[in-house]
Amino acid sequence: MSVLAVVARHELLASRRNRAPQLLVAMFIGMVGFSSFIGWMTQHTVSGIYRQVLADGLTTQPNPFVDVAPLFFARNTVIYVVMIGTLMAAALGVQSALRDRKAASADLVLTRPSPVKALLAGRMIGIGALLAVVVAVSSVISWLSISVITRAPLGLGNTARLAGFGALTWVLLLGFAALGVLGGLYIKRETTALLAPFVAWAVIAFVLPQLGTAARPVSLLNPVAAVPQTSGVFHAVSFVTGPLSVTEHFKTASQAILEGSAAGFPVMSGVVIAIFAAGLVAAVVVTSPSRLRGGASE
Amino acid sequence: MTSLAISTHGLTHRYGPTLALHSLSLEVAAGEIFGLLGHNGAGKTTTVALLTTLLRPTGGTATVAGHDIVADSRGVRSAIGYLPESVQFYDELTLMENLRFFAKLSGIGKPDSRIGEVLAFLDFEGHDHERLGTFSKGMRQRVGIAQAILHRPAVLFLDEPTSGLDPEGVRTLRETVVRLNAEWGTTIFMNTHLLAEVTRTCSSIGILRHGELVHQDSLSATLGAYPTEQALEAAYFETAAIETAAFETGA
Repeated sequence: MSVLAVVARHELLASRRNRAPQLLVAMFIGMVGFSSFIGWMTQHTVSGIYRQVLADGLTTQPNPFVDVAPLFFARNTVIYVVMIGTLMAAALGVQSALRDRKAASADLVLTRPSPVKALLAGRMIGIGALLAVVVAVSSVISWLSISVITRAPLGLGNTARLAGFGALTWVLLLGFAALGVLGGLYIKRETTALLAPFVAWAVIAFVLPQLGTAARPVSLLNPVAAVPQTSGVFHAVSFVTGPLSVTEHFKTASQAILEGSAAGFPVMSGVVIAIFAAGLVAAVVVTSPSRLRGGASE
Repeated sequence: MTSLAISTHGLTHRYGPTLALHSLSLEVAAGEIFGLLGHNGAGKTTTVALLTTLLRPTGGTATVAGHDIVADSRGVRSAIGYLPESVQFYDELTLMENLRFFAKLSGIGKPDSRIGEVLAFLDFEGHDHERLGTFSKGMRQRVGIAQAILHRPAVLFLDEPTSGLDPEGVRTLRETVVRLNAEWGTTIFMNTHLLAEVTRTCSSIGILRHGELVHQDSLSATLGAYPTEQALEAAYFETAAIETAAFETGA
């Protein structure tokens, strides 16, 4: 068995035994399962109100929820990926790095005849495999719950879209997991190492989008798309922070995948997410052995 | 001619401006139990870290089991076992799961039978499926020895192996080291600051002071010159005192 496979299997085994990531994984899968139901409830409630308003003669506009695509019910999942999934991935990553630090196993591993890059790549493969399982389970739950709500199995096209969304989710989560691993590897104090990836997560998932959302809102739950600003302060700020708002790009790309946007897949958003993930994974793999030994600068 | 398990020439290491190891030249013959004595901060752990390829020297050369520690670090790592001073292992994994991981990293294809042999050698059977989080310090130390000898290394490095052990644990570890050397022919390089440990276990001794080797000889020759433990201790402190005086006067 190759070093990559040995380390990846070890990573999977150790993560399975760790309670904190388990809790986050369970919460994420549970919320994804629940999200379709929330989507259905939203449509049911709004349509009920619409019918009442229509009966009262207060509107002549058509119900915006009429004939929504089945994958509309998966839109909430995008929010849960950004809010809970990325946090879960960062927690998995930082726990992975801190586990080795607590076990003081770095010196044991580094005195084996295995290349350091293979050890680190194996770790990322293990985390990636775990995330793939989580995403696959959540996708299956989404498929089943949407099929139940719409009273018909999702067609091939929609199933492919759901799979595409799962793949995009996996790439985003892998990036956040790598961010967590880097925090665990590069920061000496354990509490700071735990905190730093979460601060980065909060900045990426909340602060940057806040700076840019006002200019280019992403309509996930509202079926009526907002008109983006093309000038002004928010537009200028969005121009600078836009490329860094990875989660906003994820929302944009997810919306296009789930809805089948007429404009096609937003390539720029896909590229930003891919660069984010690939860059952070590469940063993990090229980490020097001294960092693995607790960041000591021997 | 006796083959050398470890050979260093002018081995030097600096941590930034601090000189941790100064031109260490020593030879350890294959099949020996070598004890490197020294106070805390003398450079013992740095020496082991260099010889196990965890650190790259800033000067000098060294070979372990015939492999250069810089040019052939992978060869060195294939030939050595290492037990650091404080190792915890993965508490959430069982003994077998921990040992399987290290065995596979050492290139042992089907590790279970080898693990069984090693645990039998260490008289540590019956704990296979217990999680390490429940193990005492002494038990962990035996797991540490087990992971270090799974691949039957030619040279075993032990860094302060008796640190934190109770008398029973110290005795067990001492017996294990002697048996490993006698039955498997493993060369053992042991760091310690305990004179008693060295005199009871080792066949040759080195004393490190302020990063410099101030004494190296066989145990018999050392004890010939200093026949009692008290005499050796006095010599140790005398050496240290001379070195300290020289260090302080800049001689």
